[in-house]
Amino acid sequence: MIEFVTRRVVQGGIVLFLVSLLTFFMINLAPGGPSSLIDMQSTAAERQARLARFGLDRPVHERYVTWLAGALRGDLGTSINQGLPVSSLLRQRIVPTVVLAATSLLLAAAFGIVLGVIAALHRDRWPDHVVSTISTLGMSIPNFWLGIVVIIVFAVNLGWLPASGSASIGRGFDLGDRIRHLILPAGVLAFSLMPNVVRVTRAALLEMMASDFVRTARAKGLVERVVLVKHTVRNAMVPVVAMLGLVATVLFSGSVVIESVFGWAGIGRLAIEAANGRDYPVILGVTLLAGAIVVGINLAVDLLYAVVDPRIRHD
Amino acid sequence: MHIRRFVHRLALLALLLTLGLGAASAQSADPTAVLNLATNADPTLNPWTPGAVIESNLINTVLFDQLTRYSPEDLTPSPALAVSWSAEEGGLAWVFELREGVQWSDGAPFGAHDVAFTFNDVVLNPELGAQSASQYSAIERVEIIDDLTVRFVLATPFSALPYYLASFAGIIPEHVLGSAENPLTVASFNKATPVTTGPYMVAEFVPGSYVRLVPNPLHWAGEPQLAGLVFRVIPDPNTQVAQARAGELDVVTRLSPNLATGIEATGRLEVLRQSQNLFFFVAPNHDDDRFDDVRVKQALLMAIDRQAMIDALLDGFGEVATGPVAPMLGALYNPDVRTYDYDPEAAAALLDEAGWTLGADGVRAKDGERLAFSMPTGQFGDLVPATLLVQQYWEDIGVMADVNILEWNAYIQDVVVARNYEVTVAWWSMPPTADVAPYFSCSAARTGNNIPNYCNEELDELMNAGRRALTLEDQVEAYAAMQEFLADDLPYLYLWYPDILTAKNVALQGFPEITAATAFQHAVDWYIAR
Repeated sequence: MIEFVTRRVVQGGIVLFLVSLLTFFMINLAPGGPSSLIDMQSTAAERQARLARFGLDRPVHERYVTWLAGALRGDLGTSINQGLPVSSLLRQRIVPTVVLAATSLLLAAAFGIVLGVIAALHRDRWPDHVVSTISTLGMSIPNFWLGIVVIIVFAVNLGWLPASGSASIGRGFDLGDRIRHLILPAGVLAFSLMPNVVRVTRAALLEMMASDFVRTARAKGLVERVVLVKHTVRNAMVPVVAMLGLVATVLFSGSVVIESVFGWAGIGRLAIEAANGRDYPVILGVTLLAGAIVVGINLAVDLLYAVVDPRIRHD
Repeated sequence: MHIRRFVHRLALLALLLTLGLGAASAQSADPTAVLNLATNADPTLNPWTPGAVIESNLINTVLFDQLTRYSPEDLTPSPALAVSWSAEEGGLAWVFELREGVQWSDGAPFGAHDVAFTFNDVVLNPELGAQSASQYSAIERVEIIDDLTVRFVLATPFSALPYYLASFAGIIPEHVLGSAENPLTVASFNKATPVTTGPYMVAEFVPGSYVRLVPNPLHWAGEPQLAGLVFRVIPDPNTQVAQARAGELDVVTRLSPNLATGIEATGRLEVLRQSQNLFFFVAPNHDDDRFDDVRVKQALLMAIDRQAMIDALLDGFGEVATGPVAPMLGALYNPDVRTYDYDPEAAAALLDEAGWTLGADGVRAKDGERLAFSMPTGQFGDLVPATLLVQQYWEDIGVMADVNILEWNAYIQDVVVARNYEVTVAWWSMPPTADVAPYFSCSAARTGNNIPNYCNEELDELMNAGRRALTLEDQVEAYAAMQEFLADDLPYLYLWYPDILTAKNVALQGFPEITAATAFQHAVDWYIAR
């Protein structure tokens, strides 16, 4: 077990190194430059002076070595466009993103599993059709559009919920206020993630229900509820957990859009701003953080398998 | 400039303003009101930091007072941190008398040393590459005469200096930034709580979320009339409008026309049609010798139905441009110049006359060379649809444009920096003066803001005549001639002057309508009617 985790952590380190190398060279190949240095109004002399100040007039490989040396010491550099240390930007932005992502994941998992079970139990009857219609909608409606629509309905027309931000301004910490701000963005994000969970749950459950051990359980006279909860659903969870692992990584790309629409100050928006503004150190920082999270989630998922399915062991 | 008359007029204006405001405040200002405004990204709270542009300009205008600001009546420079000014040595020097008793928000006294620091050590320091520094290239240095008097020493006459000093040219504190290695990148200033002179000061900066401003009790014009301002960071314009409709925002600037429709139906908001000295254009790259013949440029402009484009792209919120100087400049705008009404037949005839005749492939050619242009465009605002419409209009007269759509940052690198294009659609936004030299002069071709790389000594001389003219009468005369020349020779193909739309809470009063910059320069007068 410890050996397994150690091996995976070392592998993760190598992956992150390769990610940084690729990202660094790719973003420097992209046309354009940091928007604070190369805006429309600046003259050639101004641009030159600014590039020199940020050391961007040096060759790419030289800059990578400098950056890597810093990163190994825990210094991810300074944002070119914002003038703040990358690590402090990431620290500021990670909490809102994790709150949003965790809530969405929880909602997607809860509703997805329940709806998936309902669909499987009523296969090819109307509840199944209703669930599959909801899933299709969730799958095909773009987030940015749904985001604006729910803002117009719930914030503008009904006035029930705030339209954006993560808390009311000038008020201290207030849990109720935070939750009210969270409902719309997390709901929209969960709605788009849920269909994956529904589909996998439904398919896994159907497969389990047709399997021998379920028939045996029924044959030995167990109540249907026990068969369903103890035997079927629990066993169907392995693919669902795998799917949740995948969904968790997709969450980050989904949050890019949702964070922009709902004015949520998270990592996703930071990533968009950095990419549009060619803020090289921030792009690298965000990519590395996202990479680390994906590596971490995959490890967590592998460990979770052992919990939901005792036959899987990491020796 | 007739200083005495000017000062009289100002005194009268100040009196009227005081009376008007006094009456209005007594009537109904709500002292507890907090005004919510939108900005599209985290601002940088230093007007000179490279990249501090649209997301930072308006908040910096509230925070950092300038030497001058625009009069809400006619946009002439009026007193702010400077109370009076005059030109000396035939326009080669300007002396500014500063306001007495001004304090920074930390209590330190403001004075001539701050003005000298802002210009000598920051704007004019070539190593810093300060934002918009090239607009001040005529300034050699700023001399301190005494605590409250500075003298701008110029290399060449620059009669529009008081106008440019009102254009996002906030004075920054020497006692805070003077010791910094780079005064433009001090994070505790730019991204937290800067020391300022404006009517409001920063109380709290939450990155990615909002910047909260509270009244500056030390402000020279007295305390403002709102309990605070909050600039919320909302990147998505649709969300900005939705929030304004939901009552969470009181001011949304740079509203796109399609989002403005129906916004007034709520009864809470009104849309202001503000102006700005801003023109959209098609830039022909004059390094291409096909543009040596002015008839080609004239024909290309005549082939474009600009009114139809304004109606389609801007819902009619704009006006066909006759040159770079917008009608909002009043006397300085010359309407009597050559104009180019939409007339594709005349355009075709003009190209025939110039020797560009239709080839078998439907594209005009002359001596084996085709009238086909590379036309890169960037994903920003209406640039892409505008480019595609121009392409269609030109196709009608046998001119081909090869449109290549680039991501905005890549566009700037390729087109603006490398000048790697033959024709392209873009815009310039300038201070409200007819001094447009940074966008047209030979010295700005290839390296500066003269995107079309146009160079004509006759034009340079006309623009310099304007820079030398110290009275309004002389400026009107000089710039009228310049505008005639610009309409005849078409360094740019002028498209339109767009209206700048701002949605605001109807209860917000004391908010000058003329331009957004002017409105924010007078933030001290804003109040919410009860």
